[in-house]
Amino acid sequence: MKKIKLDFVSSTALSGKEPDKRIDFILNKVKDGSILVIDGVLKPEEEMNLIRETMRRVDDGFPGIEVCSLKKPSNFLNTLIDKFMDQKENIQKIFGNLTGNTSIATNLRTGITFIGPAKVIKKIKKNPDSFSVLAEV
Amino acid sequence: MKIGFIDWILDTFGLRKPIRLGIYGSVNVGKTTLANKIALDWTGEEIGSVSSVPHETRFVQKKEKVEIKHGGKKITINLLDMPGLATKIDYRDFLKYGIKRKEAKERAKEATQGVIEAIKWLNNVDAVLAVMDATKDPLTQVNATLLGNLEAKNIPVIIVINKIDLKNARPENIKEVFSQYPSVEISALTGKNMDKLYEMIAKHARR
Repeated sequence: MKKIKLDFVSSTALSGKEPDKRIDFILNKVKDGSILVIDGVLKPEEEMNLIRETMRRVDDGFPGIEVCSLKKPSNFLNTLIDKFMDQKENIQKIFGNLTGNTSIATNLRTGITFIGPAKVIKKIKKNPDSFSVLAEV
Repeated sequence: MKIGFIDWILDTFGLRKPIRLGIYGSVNVGKTTLANKIALDWTGEEIGSVSSVPHETRFVQKKEKVEIKHGGKKITINLLDMPGLATKIDYRDFLKYGIKRKEAKERAKEATQGVIEAIKWLNNVDAVLAVMDATKDPLTQVNATLLGNLEAKNIPVIIVINKIDLKNARPENIKEVFSQYPSVEISALTGKNMDKLYEMIAKHARR
């Protein structure tokens, strides 16, 4: 019988990492066959970078990933926190550019992300506030 | 909307740069069929080949200076037909269509490059038509990621709900899920509602 490895990753394990390193961390694990459940959501730009980096790593044994994220429904406080974090990162970027340090650590947004190898994850059915995963080993 | 003096100068003397209009979406939603229809309607020439085999478009296809006229307005666009966005590309999927292994692997390699190129182009488009298949579930990560990026980059987007000529089309599902975006229901294949699309392009596509 084939086994599946599930890794549950807290937001603190990924928050504070530079975006490139975060994507490396995720893809290294998924390419090794792990399924990741992350306590947090990547920013849209990072999600797109994840897709782009996945494409760079596609080969005969790794056809890519299946990914699904659920963001916490927007309310005034969440929107305010996200805006505050964006501003904080923008200020860090400005200071980083001035000091020559262009790689800035960013935080995850609140929510949940599921990422697994496409070889194993056959289908993800997403609903507005839940999703179900069909895996085949 | 009233056209300002600068707009009038730009239009009158042909100084306005064309709007780079990207056609984005998942694989096999009808992006090239739509690009062909727009190009054919306004230039008399198609832009690329269409196939039921996924990832037929693996390179960005362009048609420059396409003039769309609607309701007394003229808008000049550079039409950019993008390869389909995907999170997985398995060469084995192409074998089912009778493609030989070696060719399938080459096609998969080109398709991955195509996705990377399409993502790169997101920094160089002025407006986007996000095409979705009315017969499919719109709640996909590709759609969510695409729309999230366009919002973050402040790029105007129109959701084009395609394939409404098919019996199992459920355009209302897409409208419900993405109600915050302007959308139009069309069939790029039959040409149904293309006039509505042109009206929306003239209204929403801006530099």
